Amino acid sequence: MIESRADNASRFIKSAAPTALGVFGVILLASPIRLFEGAMPTPLLPLVVVYFWSIYSPAHLPAFGVFVIGLCHDLLAGGPIGLWPLIYLTVSFVVSTQRPYFQGREQRVVWLGFTIASLIAGLMLWLSSSLLAGALLPITPLALQLAATIALYPVIAALFVELHGRVIVEA
Amino acid sequence: MDVLGQERREGLGRRSSSSPLSLLLFMLVSAILLLSSLYAAEASVFRKARESAIEAASPLLSVFSGPVGFVQDMVGGVRDYFFVLEQNKALREEISDLRQWEQEARDLREVIAAYETLGFYHPAPSPEPVNAAVVGESNDAFTHTMIVNAGRDEAVLPGQAVVDDRGLVGRIVHSSKNAARVLLLTDVQSSVPVYLENSEIEGILVGQTGARPAISFTRYDDLENIVVGDRVVTSGAGGALPRGLPVGVIDRVTERGALVALQSNYARTRLVRIINYKFPGMREGPRPGLVDGLVDELGGDDADPGVEENEETGDAMVESADGDEAAVLAAQGGDAAGGEGADASP
Repeated sequence: MIESRADNASRFIKSAAPTALGVFGVILLASPIRLFEGAMPTPLLPLVVVYFWSIYSPAHLPAFGVFVIGLCHDLLAGGPIGLWPLIYLTVSFVVSTQRPYFQGREQRVVWLGFTIASLIAGLMLWLSSSLLAGALLPITPLALQLAATIALYPVIAALFVELHGRVIVEA
Repeated sequence: MDVLGQERREGLGRRSSSSPLSLLLFMLVSAILLLSSLYAAEASVFRKARESAIEAASPLLSVFSGPVGFVQDMVGGVRDYFFVLEQNKALREEISDLRQWEQEARDLREVIAAYETLGFYHPAPSPEPVNAAVVGESNDAFTHTMIVNAGRDEAVLPGQAVVDDRGLVGRIVHSSKNAARVLLLTDVQSSVPVYLENSEIEGILVGQTGARPAISFTRYDDLENIVVGDRVVTSGAGGALPRGLPVGVIDRVTERGALVALQSNYARTRLVRIINYKFPGMREGPRPGLVDGLVDELGGDDADPGVEENEETGDAMVESADGDEAAVLAAQGGDAAGGEGADASP
């Protein structure tokens, strides 16, 4: 009985780990890192978290977890509430429909997939922000941030592979 | 690592088939949330949620921003090492400029002191600043805000101006117990009443998400007088911000407005000062008395001979103006007197 409870608890912690990592990414995004005097935007770590676990193990990142990550993002960044959850959930949904294709593929194919996913997210963000502002907003800052995220994806994904294999599934 | 995910069908992975439905459900929930948050942006539920979020995140962010600041200082130190000669030269030039300003400021202080003893100058109520550190910022492409570690406990309230050592940074939009959110001037939602110091044209500074916010003017015919390099300062219109906070300089004039290069550099803003400014109200303060006093003194015998002399000479010049040159001189004298008068009344 006690064992199964401990088992449940550890299972819960493991399944909450990606969500916690996503929230950590949000906090990292909200801290004034300002790489190279603000010339390089902070990469969107939560987007990588959502994409990665939506492909490899959606059970460890339930829809509620994605929602929580997005909500934290909105609350900390100060934008309209509900925008980032919608974006992250859409990415998660689109990726989950393509899961059979991505599983077991080479890493660069998955990287290309991430590029497409972040373009979808960027388009959603740009369109909705422009709609809210009532004017077409300049796309350069967003493009730079997405480029930074896409460029760093292989490094972050390699770290996540280690984490997922060693901590979340095997341990 | 290439084959990750091929054999992960054990344990919790079995339940993954139900995922898309719950994803759709939560998408619906967030869409409803988005619409309702837009419909009632300042509803107490959303405001409370935002405030408690910054309140909860502020200690965490403080922990983060410590090492981040340390690394920035290190990197900055290494960078500075390569530019130390140029920086020295620039600083020396700046110091010699500032020495002149210092002299001018001292002279002006004496003038003001003289006015004060004469009872002509009543200084505006001096604001009480609150110092705070920037612990967080939205690194979003379209939202430009910062989180500072001072809140309602230190009387930091929405609407107050936030400045750093260079100039205006933004305004407080949310404040919780120990943290507050600053809306930066570059955010699309930011609009601040400003005026151009040289041409005295008033306008509204509106953020455009880019590094340079734009001034939209109420009257378009004034645009010819705007010169690139003009200083932009807050006008205090509306009473929310104090008048005269430096904002930036005109960078480019377009057919619909002007772009402003901001004084403050958001990539370097780490310590800010929140200005708790109370607009002098209609009832409180010495305003009616001041006007009466002015009229009395001007009407009186020799309360302020200096001013009367000035006025007399001005009038005399206008009356005796035959040539164009004299007329120009008179106009300049009148302008200067008017300007001083406007400055003297708070």
